[in-house]
Amino acid sequence: MFYANTYLDKPVVDDLEQIPSEGSEKILHCMLNTGSDIYQGACKKRGSTLKEEYKNASGTCYMDPRDMVKLGVNNWDTVLVKTNFGEVVLNAAKSRDAPHEGTVFVCKGPWANTITSHETYCCSDPTYKGIKCTVEKTDRKVLLMADLMRLVYKKYVDETDDKVVENMESLGEMPVYRGRKWEELE
Amino acid sequence: MGGIRMSYEPPITDYDHIVEDCTCAFCGCNCDDLDYLVKDNKVVAVRHACRLGASKIMEDIDQRLLVPMIRGDDGELEETDWDTALDKAAELIAHSIRPVFYGWSETSTECMKEGLELGEYIGAVLDNQATICHGPSLQAMQNAGYPIQTLGEVTNRADMIVYSGSNAMNSHPRHMARYAVFPRGYFRKRGRFDRTVVTMDPKFSDTAKMSDKWIGFEQNGDYGFYNAIRAVLKGKKLHADVISGIPKEDIYELVEQMKSAEFGVLFFGLGLTHTLSKQRNIDIAIKMVMDLNKDSKWGLTPMRGHFNVNGFNIFMAFETGFAFGVDLSRGYARYMLGETNTIDLLTRKEPDVFMVIAADPGAHFPNGANQHLANIPVIQCDIHWGPSTELADVVLPGSFIAVECAGTSYRMDGVPIYMRKAIDKPATCRDDEWIMRELKERVMKLREEPNVAPKYVPNPAAE
Repeated sequence: MFYANTYLDKPVVDDLEQIPSEGSEKILHCMLNTGSDIYQGACKKRGSTLKEEYKNASGTCYMDPRDMVKLGVNNWDTVLVKTNFGEVVLNAAKSRDAPHEGTVFVCKGPWANTITSHETYCCSDPTYKGIKCTVEKTDRKVLLMADLMRLVYKKYVDETDDKVVENMESLGEMPVYRGRKWEELE
Repeated sequence: MGGIRMSYEPPITDYDHIVEDCTCAFCGCNCDDLDYLVKDNKVVAVRHACRLGASKIMEDIDQRLLVPMIRGDDGELEETDWDTALDKAAELIAHSIRPVFYGWSETSTECMKEGLELGEYIGAVLDNQATICHGPSLQAMQNAGYPIQTLGEVTNRADMIVYSGSNAMNSHPRHMARYAVFPRGYFRKRGRFDRTVVTMDPKFSDTAKMSDKWIGFEQNGDYGFYNAIRAVLKGKKLHADVISGIPKEDIYELVEQMKSAEFGVLFFGLGLTHTLSKQRNIDIAIKMVMDLNKDSKWGLTPMRGHFNVNGFNIFMAFETGFAFGVDLSRGYARYMLGETNTIDLLTRKEPDVFMVIAADPGAHFPNGANQHLANIPVIQCDIHWGPSTELADVVLPGSFIAVECAGTSYRMDGVPIYMRKAIDKPATCRDDEWIMRELKERVMKLREEPNVAPKYVPNPAAE
């Protein structure tokens, strides 16, 4: 039986027809929008931010199927998205709101943060929408939240080389701390 | 179609008692008709809530912050007792020069009161999530006005609903069902059939799919589009054939429809505030509503995201005169856009202590701003382990407002709602209000005089 549980491994996206293994274009120039959707919202506010589920809900680049054909990426392949403000590896998935050729949508979260603009133009609000970006196919993996925070901010690692930090042992899907856990408190 | 399956969830029958009429602590809809099914002091099911509300109330216990923690020398968080954690946090705040207290939108107004007293004493900047979401809307209200109505009026009277730059089906899932589109009202006896729904959004969002009309103007085209509507409302002819990607005939038709509505409401979201024209988009939307009021009755409401983000703005405007980004370092309240807002402060690397209360900058601030959090001590007061915990040096586990703790919140239309308590909090957690009061008292012990600039005397000789 399929339960409509609020837990979902991955957001539900439509299957794609025939995707060529090699795309016609190596790099795609797109417009990046960020925002929230119901999967990201449910996962974030439940508190499951360390989980694989949040990685898939928030670290996903929703693309128009025609753009996916151009790059030769299928659902849940990985893409590298670059802007003037940074770069990040994301899952690719077919957008539920297509068609929007030339525009990609990434849900807000630590992944989107690395590529959005902090420029407020003196009115408090950073520019989260309408940023120019490039999208390309990659073999790199999408990082879990804790690993991504370690890579991007490096607050508690001495290593400064991005490549080394990216390939460090994963911090996993459970909080890492020295202290009592839920079971020990009961 | 890969994902579309019929789903069935068997009803929960194994519970001790029901707590009725609870308020949802998720979005600005603050639905106050929720029933919690409680077993062994845990909420096992929620009735009437949307997917978002239910998921928040039935939280992920694995990631609940349970014990106060301090970051050790090796970079790992370590459990400590409440006294030590509060003393450490108080010490950081008491010796700071430019503290920023950010968050507040997911806690009660009672907690904000304690926080403001601490902020006034220590000369902090108090800011909330409005700074990254509806800040431009608040600025536009100062520029152009605030023609608002309550959601009850929308239910009973509105016959035309416009969502602009807002995907209500994803971020406020019960907004259409409970307030704006589907419910039957006093003058709208047939509910959905008595209303026209228009969605203006560059993408064909889930809300657009449920609307009668979708206006997909081009990216960053909102400013031009609203100006075109205003021109037509004032009786002008449009010279261009296509404006912001919309043919002029469609604009004429839309304006006629809007003018002939008996009572229309514009709900706008972050689609307007996050694009390039920012507060100017909202300015023009508010002015459009004013123009529409010459022919018909129109109002507007920002789609506020958190359940109490409006509460902080109302509370601060009442207490200090400014809605958000209030700098108290000079001993009186100052507010300057681009100067006293969290993102600008962080990108200028100004703060030396950052306290996060019921918010998640790690998840929602751009990289360029967050980088500074890696340089300074961060105090976190929250209920879940999130991206901000990965940057936090002191962690103070709070309690869950509207489930484990009662408190006041303000709905998106400014209606205050008292949220009741349903279950007890974990024994090791404390109420946010208690944490703020303790911090305030400890800081006052560490520092006898308030940490604000001396009173400015224009002509000392005359005193």
